[in-house]
Amino acid sequence: MMAEEKNHGRRGNHGTIPYRKILLEALIVAGALLLVAPVVLIFLTAFKPDAEIVRFQGILPRHWTWANFHQIFDNVEEIPIFRWLWNSCFISTLITCWVLLLDSLAAYGLARLNLPGKKIAFSVIVATLMIPGQILLVPVYLILNRMGMLDTPWALIVPAGAGAFGVFLLHQFFLGIPRDLEDAAAIDGCNRLRIYWHLILPLSKPALATLGIFVFIGSWNDFLGPLVFLDSVDQYTLPVGVALFQTSYYTEYGLSLAASVICTIPVLIAFVLFQRHIIEGITLSGLKE
Amino acid sequence: MRASSTHQSIQRWSGYLFLCPYLAVFAVFLALPFFYGLGLSLVQWEMLSETPAKFVGMRNYREALGDAYFWKALWATVRFVVMTTPLTVGAALLIALGLHAIKGRRQGLYRTLYFLPTLISISVAGILWRWFYTSEFGLFNALLQKIGWSIPFINDPKLAMKSIVAMTLWWTVGGPVVILLAGLHQIPRQYYEAAEIDGAGPLAMLRHVTLPQLRPVLLFALVMNLIGSFQVFGQTFIITWGGPELSTRVLVQYIYETAFRNYRMGYGAAMSWLLFMVVLVLSIAQFRLMREK
Repeated sequence: MMAEEKNHGRRGNHGTIPYRKILLEALIVAGALLLVAPVVLIFLTAFKPDAEIVRFQGILPRHWTWANFHQIFDNVEEIPIFRWLWNSCFISTLITCWVLLLDSLAAYGLARLNLPGKKIAFSVIVATLMIPGQILLVPVYLILNRMGMLDTPWALIVPAGAGAFGVFLLHQFFLGIPRDLEDAAAIDGCNRLRIYWHLILPLSKPALATLGIFVFIGSWNDFLGPLVFLDSVDQYTLPVGVALFQTSYYTEYGLSLAASVICTIPVLIAFVLFQRHIIEGITLSGLKE
Repeated sequence: MRASSTHQSIQRWSGYLFLCPYLAVFAVFLALPFFYGLGLSLVQWEMLSETPAKFVGMRNYREALGDAYFWKALWATVRFVVMTTPLTVGAALLIALGLHAIKGRRQGLYRTLYFLPTLISISVAGILWRWFYTSEFGLFNALLQKIGWSIPFINDPKLAMKSIVAMTLWWTVGGPVVILLAGLHQIPRQYYEAAEIDGAGPLAMLRHVTLPQLRPVLLFALVMNLIGSFQVFGQTFIITWGGPELSTRVLVQYIYETAFRNYRMGYGAAMSWLLFMVVLVLSIAQFRLMREK
């Protein structure tokens, strides 16, 4: 009431603005709901019996059922979903640790040490961000073949450490840590490895968390890598397993969607726990001068 | 004097020990494959056959230029990029501008919702949208049927790629939204205040303050989207398997089939390099275009 009266008092330009704002916000909300709806549908539809999926009768299931999940769990011979889940957890966790270790060491050297030629080294590393990963697929496949790593988790884990994104991100963060702290530690007799481990890393927890969660979700969702580098069904990661098994159950969407739910839940949990870091990560990557 | 300067230089170079682990992996899995791929593109080599690799010069590239399937795949890819990049970044810009006008915590909440689909694995997203689009039991056609319509979203060669683009818009718009919104936050408030004193309306502010200030971030979002779009694979592989009539078989899928189904490594590597060249030239062109007014 009060607000309305106030607007009334100051007509002209300002009088219409609240309505515009409400309209704008309504549009934004409508758009957001439209984008989220398909994600919600995955979950709702996975609990529908097949008949309701094939013949759409409404968004909510009329008869909630675990049948689709049971069908997967009873079929673990053919659809080893727990094996895939384990593979995905193992690979994504190791990739995350591997990338954090390599990238933080390298970024520390590049950002904090007085290395000869480090500017050139940094430029070369950052320039590789422009190389689309897909063009390396054939040669990396052959190198992995030569090293005997194809069709093992290592085919995905080891090469993941080569990406430049993390080095770049941590480099920018390390630059912002005050020099005095490091000098004080050096006077106390800390060598550089101890400074890195006991000073720089603890101070960089937010940046490390951001990079870590980013790498984890990226490797969890990776599709082309596991598709090409892994061969046996037992070695598949969850996304590739789910995508490939559904080709033999082409029309059984309930089954595919139940598998999709299992594939999506870990990512959603990670997102809910760490969403601030995720958003920050993209922001940082985009806002380099 | 001399001893100490040698000592110092050892001390300085020894810092490279921190870089060693990363550089080793970088060398073997990024630098080496980059040039190895270039070398491979100049040989003829069927991985499974007994005959050793043979140097053939530019023949793989010439073969690509005369290969109707290569052109078809390139055309499918270009169609995808030309539709996807402007649509996604344009929509993201509108959404980011809208979000920016909303103050307080609700802005963060909405941003999160727009970002959510980006986190879904392409397998899951692909399975879901195949069910949406399919003609027989598809969700969209079930809904359309109620008003007596039916649209062959992925069964018509003319329509299939557009359907893939629509799905991609849903899946990827969140990334550029977050980047552009952060870019909008960075524009100094004084610019708007100055413009307001000059009597600028909302549209004039958008044209003379917001967009010019946002240009570097917008450029970044465009180039990233362009590079990503040229590598499209998962969507078409899962939803349409390149069909119908190869209308959605994109370059990466053709390379995948050439190298890992038919094991023609040289030809696959050559097409990869052609893809890289196209992406590189377009990225540079885009940078140039946006840099100068």
